[in-house]
This record gives sequence, structure tokens and C-alpha cells, in this order.
Amino acid sequence: MNNSMISSAVSIRALQQKLDMLADNVANVNTVGYKRKTSVFEDILTSIQPHEKDFQLAGRRTPPGFTLGWGTRLAGMMLDMTQGSLQETGNRGDVALEGNALFRIGMPDGTEAYTRNGSFQMTPLPDGSTQLVTAGGLPVLDADGNAIIIPQGLRLTIRTDGSMAGEDANGSVVELGQIGLVRTLKPELLQTIGENLYGVSAGMDPAVVVELLPARPEGVSVWQGYTEQSNVNLTNEMAELIAVQRAYQLNTRALSSSDQMMNMANNLRG
Amino acid sequence: MLRGLYTAASGMMAQQKRHDTVTNNIANLNTPGYKAMNAAVRTFPEMLVSAMGGEAVKKGVVGRLATGVFAEENLLSMRQGDLMETNRPQDLALVSDILVEGAVFDASGKYVDPNGNVVYQPQVFFTLQGPNGERLYTRDGSFKSAADGTLVTADGIPVLGDNGQPIVVNGTWEDIRVAPDGTLYSQALNAPLPDTPRLLLTLVNNPNDLLRSGDGRFRYAGDPANIREVQEGDRVQVVQGQLERSNVDAAQSMVDLMSALRLYEANQKVIQTYDTSLGKAVNEIGKI
Repeated sequence: MNNSMISSAVSIRALQQKLDMLADNVANVNTVGYKRKTSVFEDILTSIQPHEKDFQLAGRRTPPGFTLGWGTRLAGMMLDMTQGSLQETGNRGDVALEGNALFRIGMPDGTEAYTRNGSFQMTPLPDGSTQLVTAGGLPVLDADGNAIIIPQGLRLTIRTDGSMAGEDANGSVVELGQIGLVRTLKPELLQTIGENLYGVSAGMDPAVVVELLPARPEGVSVWQGYTEQSNVNLTNEMAELIAVQRAYQLNTRALSSSDQMMNMANNLRG
Repeated sequence: MLRGLYTAASGMMAQQKRHDTVTNNIANLNTPGYKAMNAAVRTFPEMLVSAMGGEAVKKGVVGRLATGVFAEENLLSMRQGDLMETNRPQDLALVSDILVEGAVFDASGKYVDPNGNVVYQPQVFFTLQGPNGERLYTRDGSFKSAADGTLVTADGIPVLGDNGQPIVVNGTWEDIRVAPDGTLYSQALNAPLPDTPRLLLTLVNNPNDLLRSGDGRFRYAGDPANIREVQEGDRVQVVQGQLERSNVDAAQSMVDLMSALRLYEANQKVIQTYDTSLGKAVNEIGKI
């Protein structure tokens, strides 16, 4: 009696979680540098109801006992790191990445966070120089882990291989180092920490999850003046939404069917 | 007492189990690698009913009567699920269609030869190492990497390679290509990884010997002679970047659900009828 009801109720909850995740993806269809989330379902524990010895009749195919399942659950949410398309904006502060790489951002508590969102800004500092920061004011780091400071009077240019240079009004160029980039080794171990930033969880060694990229990294291009669009494909999300909706409907149908059965049992007598 | 009362009650319980099985199938409509279950209902052994006494009735056997049904077993339907593209390098799917000499299997993987012997189509699974060191099997290929590089399932159970040890990949999986026989290649080196790791694929001769142990995994409970590693020439391949969908048929499940409900109701009516008859026997016939 309870098995049907518990199975359906539990599965409906799992489907609701998937629906929430799809809604999150769709809401972020225009967010720069957003990576869509995917999820995997798994069936929950199975219990085997033991059978008496007399139940072992000839012609039985499986080992003794009756297996009962208890529904499904959302096993985990992972990031889909597919490349988003690049869109030209012309802003000097917008930087897009092509390939497996993330920008390094310095957090207030001294740790590092990573992001694909390259819509940076240049804030003026008291001494006249400017600093490259994210939209939320956090400093973008260079390959040595330091904040990027552009001396007064220079215009920042970031080349495709990631090296940074400052050009002054006369055309002379000052090398400003390399923009800090990391490569993801295990995207499933990255945690979203809000504001389009990714981090590594407290107990884990960051070197396992991300790898510092050297100068002029292979397979990675840095484009100044472009932003990377979200990699959410509305058609795919809608198709998944329909599938989840129908599965939800089927599960509620099973729930109401089991409710009718319990009603019948209650009305056996009077 | 009235035998039919208990027969009808057993009918209700059997239909309840059938309903539970179908509900679980429906719940797992989107679970990758899930194999649908079918409840098989069986009648109790029959008993002989004989007449006792009475002038008009000749003393002797009246006939056989079955006294009820029970849900005997939950059979696995090992039909190949459709493949769904995910583009994740760690998502793997198994496509298996093992040939057995002289047998042409039907859609459910069964063949009955002219002598009446039943042969089941062998099935291939990924091999996992359970928490107590025992071997577990699964068709759900949605794997990921643990922090130390071990290939694990979504809830952390390591996947075994053909050397009996978990597969460990140092570095990123973006570079790894899995060949159809399960060998892991590095795209950058254009060669297999050091020690040539290969996924351990296990072939089970009779899938009915498998017991579910939850979370999409199976345990083997049959004869050790009937389980072996996949060999050259077996028709099975590993497809990277795709997952095998659940093989549950939603429409059929709905029909089974409705049928279980109505049979439950029919048995309920039988019990109510017996109840009315007993009521009459007690209240009206025995009235003083």
C-alpha cells in the first residue's frame, strides 16, 4: 500500500528539483559566461521481501524473494562546460575566453575563485592608475596571483595569447605580464559560489580541480572586446522541460491510483 | 470458512504488488540505465476438495481448487535502452546484442527451442567495486572523477578496469577517448594510457540470476560458471558521450497501472459480496 505512495511522492520531489534546475538555466540564458547545469537521476534503494521456503516453486526464474523499488532521486548536479558563442561588444574591459580556461579572481578572504564571466571594469585608484576588476568589484589576478594594475596614462590591451600590454598616447608599449588563467581538470568538483563565480570546496586541494596555465597556453584564446554568451540552448531546455513535465504527470497519476486503492481498502466494510 | 474470502484477499495483495512494481517503473522513466521490472503473479498450489457425507452426493472427489495467488517474482526486462547524447567525456553507454549459437532472441531476450528449453540472452554490464570489496554490476554509465582521479559512479563507487583495480586517470578527461572495447586512449599522445587501462565489462549468461541492490546496481547471485569477462568477438561496444535511457515504456506502464487498479477493485467487490453473504448467514438465517 505504502510502497506506491512513497515511490511516487519521492519521485515527484526529485522531478521538482530537476524543474528548479531547468528554470535556473532558462533564467540565465542571457548571463555572460554562464555554464548550464545538468543532472542525473538514479533509482533509490531496493528492498527484497523474503519469501518462505514453500514459495520456491518449480519454474521460478529469479533468486528467492520479491524485489521492491522505492522511486528515484536526483543523484547530482554538474556543470556543462561547453563553449558559449562570442559576441563583439567593443568594450576594452570585456574579455572572452575560448577553450578550456577560467579567469582567476581574488576573493576578500585571500582565496581564489574562478569565472568565465569576462565583463570586467577598470576602476580608478587614488594614485591615478586603474585596476581591472569584475562587475562586483573583485580584483582579476594575473599569472603570478597579483591584482592587475595599469599605470596612469596607459590603455590596456590583452592579446589573444593572454599577454597584457599598456599603450600610451605616443604608441610606446609597456608589457604588463600575463592574465591569470586556469584549466579545469575536473569540472564536476567545481562549486558555484554565486555571482557567476566558481570555487573549490574547503577541504579539497585546488591543484586537483584546476591547473595553472603557462604563458601562451595551447588551445586557449583570449579575446578583448568580446563577451562569451551563456551556453544555455533554449530548445534543449524546453525539450527537457516537456519530458520532466510529462514524467511529473505520470507520477501524479500513479499517486492518485494508489490513493484510490487505499480508498477501496478503507471501504471494504461499510 | 468461506475459502473464497482468503482467495480474494490474496488477489488484492498480489495486485498491490503489481501496482507497486509499475509505480516504481514510472518513477524511473528518466533514470539512465534503468531496466524495467515486471511482476509475475502465480497461483498457490491447488488442493483437492472432496465431499463428506450427504445422501444425494456420492462420496468422493469434487475437484481441484486453487486457494489464491501471490506475486512470485519481479523479472528484469533487459531490452536495450535508447542512447541519449550528453557530450560529457565520462558518460558511457553499453550497446550489447550478444549472439548465442542456434538461438534467435525475441524482444524480451528469451528464446524457446523446439524441445521447450528456455535460453536467455546474455547481457553485459560495467563492473564496480562495492564498499565491502564485492563486485557490483550496472548499465548506468554516468560516471565522474573523484578528487584522486578514480573513475566513480555518481555516488562514489569506483569503476573497475580489466586488471581488477579501479580505473584512475590523472589529468583531465577531455583528453581521454574510450574505444568501443573499453580501452582508454589519450588523444594528445594518440596512444593508450600507460598500463593500457580498459573497462572491465562482465557478461552474465542468465540475467535472471541478478539481484538488484539499489542505486541502479546489481549483485550476482547465480552459478560462478555463468559469469565471465567479455571476450573478443562478443557483440558489445562502449559508446562515449552518450547515456543509455531507461527502457520503461510509459504507455504500457499506464495500462498496467489501470489494470492493477481494476483487478484490485474486482477483488474488493468479491470480498464485499462474501461479507454480505456472511452477514446474511449470521443475521438472517440464524435469526430466532
